Amino acid sequence: MLRLPAVSRALAGAAHSQGSIAITNNVRTSARASSNMVEVFVDGKPVMVEPGTTVLQTCEKVGVQIPRFCYHDRLSVAGNCRMCLVEIEKAPKPVAACAMPVMKGWNILTNSEKTRKAREGVMEFLLSNHPLDCPICDQGGECDLQDQSMMFGADRSRFTEGKRAVEDKNIGPLIKTIMTRCIHCTRCVRFASEVAGVEDLGTTGRGNSMQIGTYVEKMFMSELSGNVIDLCPVGALTSKPYAFTTESIDVLDAVGSNIVVSTRGGEVMRILPRLNEDLLKYENILSPFTHTHAISQLFQGSEVGAIAGGMVDAEALVALKDLLNRLDSDTLCTEEIFPMAGAGTDLRSNYLLNSRITGIEECDLMLLVGTNPRYEAPLFNARVRKSWLHNELQVAMVGHKVDLSYSYNHLGETTQVLQEIAAGTHPFCKVLAQAKKPVVVVGSSALQREDGAAIFKAVSTIAQNSRASSGVEEGWKVLNVLHRVASQVAALDLGYKRGVDAIRKNPPKVLFLLGADADCITRADLPKDSFIIYQGHHGDVGAVMADVILPGAAYTEKNGTYVNTEGRAQQTRVAVTAPGMAREDWKILRAISELAGVTLPYDTVDEVRRRLEEVSPNLVRYDDVEESNYFKQAHELSKAVNQSLLAAPLVPPQLTVKDFYMTDPISRASQTMAKCVKAATEGAASVDEPSIC
Amino acid sequence: MAAAAVVRGIGSNLSKNLREVRLHLCQISAASQGTRDFIEQHYVTLKTANPEFPILIRECSGVQPVLWARYGFGKEHSISLDNMNADQVAKALESVVNAKP
Repeated sequence: MLRLPAVSRALAGAAHSQGSIAITNNVRTSARASSNMVEVFVDGKPVMVEPGTTVLQTCEKVGVQIPRFCYHDRLSVAGNCRMCLVEIEKAPKPVAACAMPVMKGWNILTNSEKTRKAREGVMEFLLSNHPLDCPICDQGGECDLQDQSMMFGADRSRFTEGKRAVEDKNIGPLIKTIMTRCIHCTRCVRFASEVAGVEDLGTTGRGNSMQIGTYVEKMFMSELSGNVIDLCPVGALTSKPYAFTTESIDVLDAVGSNIVVSTRGGEVMRILPRLNEDLLKYENILSPFTHTHAISQLFQGSEVGAIAGGMVDAEALVALKDLLNRLDSDTLCTEEIFPMAGAGTDLRSNYLLNSRITGIEECDLMLLVGTNPRYEAPLFNARVRKSWLHNELQVAMVGHKVDLSYSYNHLGETTQVLQEIAAGTHPFCKVLAQAKKPVVVVGSSALQREDGAAIFKAVSTIAQNSRASSGVEEGWKVLNVLHRVASQVAALDLGYKRGVDAIRKNPPKVLFLLGADADCITRADLPKDSFIIYQGHHGDVGAVMADVILPGAAYTEKNGTYVNTEGRAQQTRVAVTAPGMAREDWKILRAISELAGVTLPYDTVDEVRRRLEEVSPNLVRYDDVEESNYFKQAHELSKAVNQSLLAAPLVPPQLTVKDFYMTDPISRASQTMAKCVKAATEGAASVDEPSIC
Repeated sequence: MAAAAVVRGIGSNLSKNLREVRLHLCQISAASQGTRDFIEQHYVTLKTANPEFPILIRECSGVQPVLWARYGFGKEHSISLDNMNADQVAKALESVVNAKP
């Protein structure tokens, strides 16, 4: 009926999050507040609620869903659709349940004569101007208007007038707008203004001629713009590059956001065809071949090295590590660099977002170093913005000045500033010393620099100093690292070396590229007759320089484990089957191990996961974050680092929205993302779209 | 402290036979107390003497404390550190350092 999974997930979310969710979401009652609870009746059933709870939330607590269009538990209350009108016994008029706080002794009648008449009336009004598009509308089957008119609407129409029509608006290549279907619930307007921080959408006109849009032809330029598609209860805002679904997690950044994957006939976002037949390049002529021939002789006595890219799952990483270890090689590297000095990646607390994403809602001061979270981890940034809006979070930044959708204290972009804060001489240190729950977030791009170890040392010093200062609780963690690639944390957990220096120092004869497309190592860095094997799903740079290309599966085509920047292990599930001869990555490595004579001891996913547990037990604790400690020890070791900070300013790689869309092999291969970049640089009108509904 | 002496004895020899050492422990259980103490008191010394050697410390709630040692050619050996104190943990580490793969 009404999106019940969404509602129950939202209620569960209200229970999980530790901080205050400002908009009166206090459906869970706490024992402490029992003294001032209010007794209300829903259809005669008594229920105790905290004062300030709205009628709608009270009914939800009892299990009664009140129909609504404009109310959303993560947005501010608007109360303009009037669908939630319910009768209160002995009150003269029905009240809007989403906005009215309950009073003691009220009896809320959710199914009385008056309530039903109100709902039928509102539904009749909403449908009076709504076009008869159901058969051609993308939202059909998941449309709130359809569901609610079936449940609460009248069974016959008395409509004989004409309907109004509205022009479609062009707000970018991701959102298809058919504004005639809009019911003016203003969810998109509130989302853009509150959550995205971009005040582009608004209402123009009034009454029958009211329109939602940007008024002037303007692109809805935000990294969170696609969310309005999910918010819109009718088919007014839908997805341009669209279709049908499975649940998985997003590995295009390191937040590991849970997503629902859209596929159509076996394809997801990419449009370029994937390589799905094994190819051996022989004197620049590509010809199909089978595994056995080349590989069994390949590994005899040669030095092997491997580079893992940004979207590799933990099962493949552990299989690769075991394979290379058995061939007596330890040269396993990640493309992303992380400082080796000090404790390096021995201690998990050194490379995780220790305060966790939910910790952002509790903290009162955040210092960002060398990162642009808006485009590196948009959902992290949305959480910070939420805290900034509702919990008085102060944010300060050391790095290039960027638009984060909220105001912050820009301390400067030079490493000099960082040094001063670490030494205690910068005026900001006083503010830091007074914070009760400070958080320092350093971006992984800042740690990629040559002075990465020195930057890390400075950040670690700042974190330790603020911990030592007055007021910080014992268990609160200050130091955080925000990663940008999904596989980095899992690779570090498993013991991979960070950055390709090890390969540069000892160039191997055989190089295995597992999804490595960041162009860190080229042929020039390797000995003349070296052999490169590329295994992946979307290879652009890596595949071009390889001798053998083995087609692996993308994250939507396998059951894989990924660990996000907090250290939370999550799984992806198969949404589409991998095309052609492509296989799951760990299975390919298992096959190679057999041919190379060092058969790996696992044949099923469960056995691989048992091996994962042997290396690092947190990798199989799905959806949980394991606490990591020993900050003091890590700091002691980092103090011994003898590197000095370079003068170059801290500039994150993604500065404006046009840098946001194409940052990894999957998005680089996408036509839609290319359109987004074009629209962002040249304006919405520059992207020509076919004119179909 | 006996553990300190053992750690001094190991010195920079971690990489003699070993390729990687992993310590699994629980953050709060009593069985892992010795392992936790060992890390708190001796990890820094050990790492300073062996700065390039990977000593992976992986905390996870509810696990039995275990010391995993990886030698060449992927051979691994594990020792349970259940209910050991810091001295015994140090001794266990010494034994894997000196063991031939």
